[in-house]
Amino acid sequence: MPSPDEVLAVRTAAVRLTGVSLTYGARGGLLRPRGTRVAALRDIDLEIGAGAFLVIVGPSGCGKSTLLRLIAGFAPPTTGEIAVSGAPVTGPGPDRGVVFQQPRLFPWLSVRRNVEFGLRMAGLPAARRRERAMELLGLVGLADVAGQRPYELSGGMQQRAAIARALAPDPAILLMDEPFAALDALTRERLQEELRRIWQATGKTVLFVTHSVDEAVYLGTRVIVLSRRPGRIVLDQPSELPFAPDPHTHPGYPALRETIATAVRRSASDDPGQDDSGQDASGSDDSG
Amino acid sequence: MLLLLAIWWAVAAAHIWPEVFVPAPGAVWEQLWLTSSVHEGRRGYSGYLLHEHLLVSLGRIGLGSLYGVIGGIAAGLLIGLVPTVRTLLGPLVTFVRTLPPLAYFSLLIIWFGIDEPPKIWLLFIAAMPPVAVATAEAVRGVHEDYLNAARSLGARRWQLPYRIVLPSALPEVITGIRVAVGVAYTTVVAAETVNGVPGIGGMIRDAQRYNQTDVVILGLLVIGASGLLIDTFLQFIERLLVPWRGRA
Ligand SMILES: Nc1ncnc2c1ncn2[C@@H]1O[C@H](COP(=O)(O)OP(=O)(O)OP(=O)(O)O)[C@@H](O)[C@H]1O
Ligand SMILES: [Mg+2]
Repeated sequence: MPSPDEVLAVRTAAVRLTGVSLTYGARGGLLRPRGTRVAALRDIDLEIGAGAFLVIVGPSGCGKSTLLRLIAGFAPPTTGEIAVSGAPVTGPGPDRGVVFQQPRLFPWLSVRRNVEFGLRMAGLPAARRRERAMELLGLVGLADVAGQRPYELSGGMQQRAAIARALAPDPAILLMDEPFAALDALTRERLQEELRRIWQATGKTVLFVTHSVDEAVYLGTRVIVLSRRPGRIVLDQPSELPFAPDPHTHPGYPALRETIATAVRRSASDDPGQDDSGQDASGSDDSG
Repeated sequence: MLLLLAIWWAVAAAHIWPEVFVPAPGAVWEQLWLTSSVHEGRRGYSGYLLHEHLLVSLGRIGLGSLYGVIGGIAAGLLIGLVPTVRTLLGPLVTFVRTLPPLAYFSLLIIWFGIDEPPKIWLLFIAAMPPVAVATAEAVRGVHEDYLNAARSLGARRWQLPYRIVLPSALPEVITGIRVAVGVAYTTVVAAETVNGVPGIGGMIRDAQRYNQTDVVILGLLVIGASGLLIDTFLQFIERLLVPWRGRA
């Protein structure tokens, strides 16, 4: 388990974003045939230390998923640079595991084979693949449906299977987009604990999107709050709570919760100083 | 079905039209037995039993469809994945698709003679476009997050067509195959107009020449019934291979 100092010192940046903006529809032709330009992110500078648990909060449509997708390498930013472990991102790779906002399990594979996919790509022999997949499915409470197809599972079960699939190849960086949003309170709590345990045990860097302030406080060694679209960082709050034996009863919990909640409330309301419709034609509107 | 049979029987019994135009159901029924057995030293129809005609036709349909499906999937993958191939091959496929099979059959006969090759070629050319078009469309419609997920799980770019694109396109590809087999079915009678015995199409052709309307109708019924059977079988395969269809 990394000590708080190690994690918070940002000695080695696992992920570094410099001046990253993304405007959808900017590259007419490839993404869409030059329709509306939507500025989703603007001027994001962010340095995430190896082993950090970064939680991203912000109003719906502010660009949280977009941010994760850029780091995952699914699309290049319109401007700026993204580097992972010092090397510029040129595409997706097994060093960055992704849990999508929708489960996106492969419907032609059984649940177990979905989890095995990354292991198969890594060239693991069948017996070892199976063993590890079953272990992970046990972890997310799906061992009994391993042989079923994804469409036979509920939304929450699918999401848990997707988490197991992303964990399987043991990526150094985990990009998780509202992974627990579809779960009941009990399962959600259990998986939060489990994820915290995995993070502490493996020293993975986790980037985690959520709408739940409590989840952010419980899990994040650092919580950033984004403004309305185009997303900018309006709060960048470090925290030591996840290192505590039980963050929920930590004396700092209420104050931290309040700080984040206030920032979220402010970013969600139409604060005139921060507001930007983001649908300007020029893409260089500096009214804010 | 029964109603249709009753109407047919009534119309034939009323003798509105001569027997050559509308043979009675009984006559067709009798032909079913005559063509299926050896009688008075004669074997079935034109020297072959009914099921032999049918099997030969089915063999041609099967072979033509098989080549068509293989070629169609390969062409569809290329058209869907490679933009340059799309601009080159796409219009060609559409061009071939709009040609009536009989139109190029003559050309095939000049090239390949009158035995099996031109028939198989004809069915292949007719069966390929539906599969190619369906595959190409499905390939282009693959959700990009399946590709993204696979790449994030360590799949290389070259592994995507086999690991992701093909399986996620499978439902549409199978629909394309069903259409292709249907097209091969409608084309086989045309293919068997030349030197088509044994073969259901050849049988129908000969019967037409001798005004044996009951045999013609028997041939039609046999083709229709076997086609229905095969499509049912393909639907069964479809449910087996793509149980997630419409649910994912
Ligand atoms: N493919 C796309 N093409 C055009 N615009 C897009 C696309 N994807 C997202 N957007 C726009 O970019 C903005 C940010 O989207 P994003 O999905 O990143 O939001 P989010 O913060 O994840 O929201 P939520 O909390 O609802 O998941 C949205 O306003 C959306 O309209
Ligand atoms: Mg999102």
